[in-house]
Amino acid sequence: MKRIIIIFSLLGLTVLLSSCAAVKPWQRDITARKSMQLNKNPNLTAANDHVYFSKEAAAGGRSFDGGGCGCN
Amino acid sequence: MQLIKTRKGRISATLCLVTANLFSTTGLPQAQQIIGGTNNPQARDQSDMKNVYNQPVNELGTITLDSAILFYKENGGRVQAIEPMASFTYHTENDDIYSVKLTYDSLTGASPYGAAPWKAAQTFVSPTIIEGSETMTGASGGTIVTDALTGVTSVEKTVDAYTLPLDSGFRDNRTAIDFGFTTPLASGTKLSVGLNGSHESDYNSFAGRVSLAQDFNNKTTTVSVGVNYEHDVSKPLYGTPLPLSRMSGVMKGASRNKNVLSLIAGVTQVMTPDWVLQFNYSYGSAKGYQTDPYKIISRVNYLTGAPLEYLYESRPEKRTRHAVYVGSKLALGSYVTDLSARYYHDSWGISSFTAEASEHIPIGDRAYIEPGVRYYHQSAANFFAYYLPSDLILPQFISADSRLDSFNAITLSLSGGYSLSDDIELYAMVDGYRQTKAGQKGLLPGQDGRLKLFAGIDAISVMTGVKLKF
Repeated sequence: MKRIIIIFSLLGLTVLLSSCAAVKPWQRDITARKSMQLNKNPNLTAANDHVYFSKEAAAGGRSFDGGGCGCN
Repeated sequence: MQLIKTRKGRISATLCLVTANLFSTTGLPQAQQIIGGTNNPQARDQSDMKNVYNQPVNELGTITLDSAILFYKENGGRVQAIEPMASFTYHTENDDIYSVKLTYDSLTGASPYGAAPWKAAQTFVSPTIIEGSETMTGASGGTIVTDALTGVTSVEKTVDAYTLPLDSGFRDNRTAIDFGFTTPLASGTKLSVGLNGSHESDYNSFAGRVSLAQDFNNKTTTVSVGVNYEHDVSKPLYGTPLPLSRMSGVMKGASRNKNVLSLIAGVTQVMTPDWVLQFNYSYGSAKGYQTDPYKIISRVNYLTGAPLEYLYESRPEKRTRHAVYVGSKLALGSYVTDLSARYYHDSWGISSFTAEASEHIPIGDRAYIEPGVRYYHQSAANFFAYYLPSDLILPQFISADSRLDSFNAITLSLSGGYSLSDDIELYAMVDGYRQTKAGQKGLLPGQDGRLKLFAGIDAISVMTGVKLKF
C-alpha cells in the first residue's frame, strides 16, 4: 500500500512540477470558464458522493472521507 | 458530415495534447511546441464559443441561491430516498465567502438484514419501540408477539423461502446543516473553515474543518491542505446490541460514539491553457463504534446450510483509510473532457479503484449536456462472510453487510444545464447505478445455486435544481 501511494505521489508531483510555468496569466481565459471548474455543480457532486458513500466502502480522495450520517 | 469531421479533429487534438504533455514531463523541446500548437484558434471548434458556459466565473459581490431535489430508488422494493437541498452563498467584493447549506433526507423501503437466504421461510425478531402512545415496529409488516413467560413483547417478521432477507418498512429522516467561510489571508493564500451537523432519529453527527490554499506560479499552481474532525453518536432505535450476541426481542445497550480525523492534501495545476490537473491524497482515522447495529449474520449448519441462529455482526473499532485521487479537465473548443481516477485502501483490507469520465457538450448558446460513466471496484473486507458455518468457532469480527463484499459497480449518467438568463440556471441529472458481484460467487453449504447470497443493488437517481444569482 505504502509503495502504491509513494508511486502515485511521485508520479503526480513529477507531472505537475515539470509542466508548470508554461501558462501565462493572460492565457487563463479557458481555465476560468464555468465549464472548466473542478466542481461545476456542487449539489450534483454532493448528491452523488452521498449515494456512493452510503452504498460503497471507499471514501475520500476528492474530499474528506467523513460521511456525517449513519448510512454507512 | 461536419459533425464527423469535428469529432475526428477533437480526438486527434486530444491525443496530441495528451502525448504532448507526456513528452513535456521529459523536457523534450518539441513537446512544448506541440502544446503551443493547441493554442492555435483554428484547432478549436469556433462554432459554439458563444455558449454561456464559456463565460468566466465571476462571483465577486454576488449572492447565490442553489436548490435541488434528488429522487433515489433501488429495485426490488429496497431503499427509496427523497433529498431536497438548498444552499445560500454570499461572495463579497473583498473575496470573502459565506455559505449555508441545508439538506433533508427522507428514506423508506427495505434494507438487507445480512442474513443468508434459505429454502424455507425465515423469521427475524426485534424489540418493539414505544414512542408516546404509538407502538412502532421500526418497520411495517411485522407481527407483535408477547413472550408467555417473561411478558416481553417483540416484533417478528417473516421472509419467504429463496429470497434475500430484507428488513421491510425501514424508514428514516435526516436533517443536515453546513456553514462555511472562506477568506483571503494574504496574497495568494485562502483560509476556509466550516462546521456541519446532522440529525437522524438514531444517529447524530457533528464536524468541523479548516483548510488552507496557497497559489503559486501566477496562480497556475494551488497547494491545499485541510483537516476535518467528526464526532458521531449512534443511538439505535432499540439500543446497541452486543456484537456476536443472538438476535432477540430484548432491548439493547446504550448509545455509542465514533470520532473521525480526516486530512487532505492536494495540488491543482494549470498544465496548459486548456488543461487543469488535480492531485489529492486523503487520510482518515476512525475510532469507536463502527458496527452496523441493525445487521446480523446467519450461523448455518456446515453441511446443509440450514440457518441455526442469527448473530449481530461485529466490526473493528479502528479503521484507517488512504485514498489518492487524480482529476483532469481538458478543454477542446467549448467541449470539456473530465477524467478522474482514485485508488483507495483501508485497514479492514478493502482496496478499491474508481474511474470516471464525462464530456461537457455545449448545446446552442445557453445549454449543455454531459454524458458520463463511472466504474467502481472494491475487494471484500477481511472479516466479510456471507454466513458462519457451525463447525467454526466465533471469530472476533464478522459481517455480512453487502457494502463490505467484493463487487463492481457501473454508473451511467446524463446531466445538463440551461441558463434562462445570466442569473438563472436550471439543471438536471439522471443516473443508473448497478452493482455486480466481483470474483467468485458465494454458495451456502449444500451448493444450492438458487440461494443468491450477493445483495448488490440496482438503483436510479433523478435530480433537478435551480440556481439563482443576485
